[in-house]
Amino acid sequence: MLNAVKKSATLSTRILRIWATLPFLFHAGVAGAQRFPKPDFESGYKYPELYYAIPNESLWTAVDITLLAALMSVVAWAVIKRRTRAPVVVTSVISVAYFGFFRSGCVCSIGAIQNVAVALADSSYVIPPSALLFFILPIIFAILAGRVFCAGVCPLGALQELVNVKSYRLSKALTAALSIIPWIYLIFAVLFAVTRSGFIICRFDPFIGIFRLGGDIGMIVFGALLLVAAIFTGRPFCRLHCPYGALLSLFARVSVWKVKITPGCISCELCHNACPVDAIRAPYANKVKESRAQGVKRILLYLLLLPAMACAGALTLRVASNSLSRVNKDVRLYDMVAQNEATPQDVQLPELEAFYGQGGTVEELSRRAATVEADFRRYATAAGALMGMVVGFTLIGLSLKRTRKTYEINDAACVHCARCFSYCPQKK
Amino acid sequence: MKKKIFRNIAIVSAIFIVAFSAMLITNYFQVRGFDPLQAEVVETLKQINDENAGNVKLQEQIRQLDLLARRAYFVRLDHLRSGVYIMVAMLVVFVAALRFYFAEEKNIPGKQISPVDDWMEKTLARKYVAWIAGGLVAAALVFVFFTAPFLKSGTDALMGQPAGDVYAAAEQSAAGEGENVAPSAGEDTVENTADGLAESLAEAVGENPEGAQEAQNPAEEAASVSAPKVAHSCFRGNNSNAVSPARNVPVKWNPTTGENIAWASDIPRHGFNSPVITGNKVFITGADEQARELYCYDLTTGKLLWTLAASNIPGSPSKMPETTEDTGLAASTVATNGKQVCGIFASGDLICADMEGKRLWAKNLGVPQNHYGYASSLLTFGSLLIVQYDNSVAPKVMALDMATGDERWTKSRTDKITWSSPIIAYVNNQPQLVLMGSPSITAYNPSNGEQYWRVEGLSGEVASSPCSAAGVVFGASEYAALIAVNATTGQTLWTANDFLPEVSSPVATKDNVYLATSYGVLACYDAQTGELKRSHELNTEFYSSPIITEGKLYVFSNSGKMFIYSANQSFDLLSSFDTGQKTFATPAFTDGRIVVRTEKGIYCAKVES
Repeated sequence: MLNAVKKSATLSTRILRIWATLPFLFHAGVAGAQRFPKPDFESGYKYPELYYAIPNESLWTAVDITLLAALMSVVAWAVIKRRTRAPVVVTSVISVAYFGFFRSGCVCSIGAIQNVAVALADSSYVIPPSALLFFILPIIFAILAGRVFCAGVCPLGALQELVNVKSYRLSKALTAALSIIPWIYLIFAVLFAVTRSGFIICRFDPFIGIFRLGGDIGMIVFGALLLVAAIFTGRPFCRLHCPYGALLSLFARVSVWKVKITPGCISCELCHNACPVDAIRAPYANKVKESRAQGVKRILLYLLLLPAMACAGALTLRVASNSLSRVNKDVRLYDMVAQNEATPQDVQLPELEAFYGQGGTVEELSRRAATVEADFRRYATAAGALMGMVVGFTLIGLSLKRTRKTYEINDAACVHCARCFSYCPQKK
Repeated sequence: MKKKIFRNIAIVSAIFIVAFSAMLITNYFQVRGFDPLQAEVVETLKQINDENAGNVKLQEQIRQLDLLARRAYFVRLDHLRSGVYIMVAMLVVFVAALRFYFAEEKNIPGKQISPVDDWMEKTLARKYVAWIAGGLVAAALVFVFFTAPFLKSGTDALMGQPAGDVYAAAEQSAAGEGENVAPSAGEDTVENTADGLAESLAEAVGENPEGAQEAQNPAEEAASVSAPKVAHSCFRGNNSNAVSPARNVPVKWNPTTGENIAWASDIPRHGFNSPVITGNKVFITGADEQARELYCYDLTTGKLLWTLAASNIPGSPSKMPETTEDTGLAASTVATNGKQVCGIFASGDLICADMEGKRLWAKNLGVPQNHYGYASSLLTFGSLLIVQYDNSVAPKVMALDMATGDERWTKSRTDKITWSSPIIAYVNNQPQLVLMGSPSITAYNPSNGEQYWRVEGLSGEVASSPCSAAGVVFGASEYAALIAVNATTGQTLWTANDFLPEVSSPVATKDNVYLATSYGVLACYDAQTGELKRSHELNTEFYSSPIITEGKLYVFSNSGKMFIYSANQSFDLLSSFDTGQKTFATPAFTDGRIVVRTEKGIYCAKVES
């Protein structure tokens, strides 16, 4: 026990040291001055032409990919083979420093979902190789070793991991129910991506403002609140928000190598208590008074209701598709143009100024808007059906009864943070 | 002891973070909401400077203030950035202090592990899932409920319909203003009184079923937009062809004595453009350095019904382009189709209003590079507004939807800049859009801009507009030639150069072509051969263009003398009288009335009562 406490203290000191150097490391990455209109000289003064050095993006992309694969390998080795936490913490620091602050949180695997979705829906879209690799590599690693990406390679998860001090528990029932939110977010993100209405994952990334030390004030505040929450509870974003985590959890269930409870477990429950994401299930004797037949009936009922739920979801989102399509800039612009045509305003919105200024035609805009609306009807119907199925499968999952004699790891939920190892008294 | 220190550090840093966050957020909103270029003091001083140019001291003061405002802005921005760094550092301190504070605490269970009631949690979770799912459906429905009415009010009538329906909707919205629109085309029985004008007159009022079938959308719309019975819809009348269907036109008036004068009014701002008439409304524009305005007068009373300023147009220049005195900022004549009226200025500002003066749309086409000033007049073709946008940089001709301003088509032009205006010539019942250029006369399909033919032969600075009659297009420019073109084949029929116009435009019947020169000659050519039939040397100047109506040719000299000739083989002077007011614009004709813009005002002559 004392050993564990010492280790923890050493780790804290190490983290503190690394954190203290962060502002200096990332100074160069601070965003440039806000765009600002230049003075209008009438004396004939001409502004000198600005030359920007073009960054060697291909080099940085190569570094990104290499580092991504390397860090995931390190985590997999540390968690599966070595069963130790220290490399995970180091990985987290590197990830936050490099992928977060230095690379400004872009490209990230979470956002890459949208690139892949667009590429699948639109053959004319050429997905950047880096985005494809950022999407694929964590999935490959998840199939091999579980959610090693979440452990400390994802800068968002790593940041939450590094600030986490206490893991106050949320109601398990509530967190189980809220676990459908990442799926719904994922479905919406794909819907908006394939309709070319925006990459909402990137737009509403709560930590991007922190990594870039600036940005939308609302998102920065949201990110700050999440970060404060992450101090006192384990990874709120990963558990209740992250769409990519939801996707990885599918593959982690069937991973080749899994994180295991220490052999010779003495059921001290330290690991269970230490787990910030409630991924360790305690032994449980199924003492449900409900009869087996009743349980089976419930599952059968949910199975029967599954198509109905899918249909209800499909119908709901189909009805809402017209309203949802207003997220698309073309449809929104068409609304503005149409309103302006109906009741012309003396002072026009910047969007209308740009539209008219660039010689846009209502016919072309109307055509584009109609296409988007049709896309929304089609994809929103499918998205609604998927959401209905997510609810249905969640209910079915929550209806299964299992007896556990020992502690078990929920592979779908485990983010490979390795916190449990450092608490295990049996670990050699 | 150590624990207490860490606790206190954590508390202090937490308080610091909260207080500092509030300050940063306040600073953020201050910086965001502040635009140094819009500083009130600077703006006021700039305005004063605009009004009193040349005050060096004031300009220096503006520069200093501008610099100060910018400096303050960037200093605030720097503070914000520094604040973010401090904030991050304090967060690190806070997290570290907390870590050390909790370092000795382990998550050791306080008592013997009791079996977790997994099933109870799952049962509860199922309930929550059901609530969340129900909540999502409810949220979706509420979302639809609250957004649908908004969407309907703005665009439902437009959305989901073919693109063209936007125009239909816009026209529907304008339908309420139909009182001013004359009866339908079917009621327009035009009895031409000039030889060879029947075809042109019928076309002018849309009685052209064959043409309407052949031409595509715009032509169909041309038929559907009901033109006023005796409209004078643009420069030199309908189709800009200088032939008016008006009847019972006055032949004598005197603005000085008030003889046969219905009314006379002032025009608020200067301009050389000509009046146009639709229904009971007269439109005209005026402009100076301060403003560019479209005016609507009552045809019966001369009362200024409304004024619409061409202001707040994106891209409109803050400083007006240089123009010569005899061109000015408002040389282009407006055009109307009875539902909308559009005006254009030398600044490139194009504005369109409904009949009640409500602005429908406006756009700046880019300030035209034009050493005299932009002067081409607008032309209507059904619901299309034709703009000959000649300039030294990127000359083009374009068709816009009059109701919406949407571009229907555009064609770039290779000819040199002109000050001429486009016309619609009906050739074998087909509309042709004819434009003068230097060195060519070019015909286009007005529905899509497709070029029909192009004939070269002009040169120099072309200001005169073409005209057409019986399938022949005539164009002339001073020091070059008068050219007759077979508009069916695009072949030159003949050229002549006895007398050529500088500013005034010719007018033609199937037999004769008439023109007025700036050196005071009125000439009549044989439309078939180009032979000069007759000329009158009048010792005056003509900028105004002749108009033919009821078999008579009306033309104003610059000094304001009206000459009325018979528009036939004899080309005899029927009447002439001095109005006493300089007149450069071409008058507008309607039943029983002629509206004249003079150098300083506007008046309406009426038939003797």
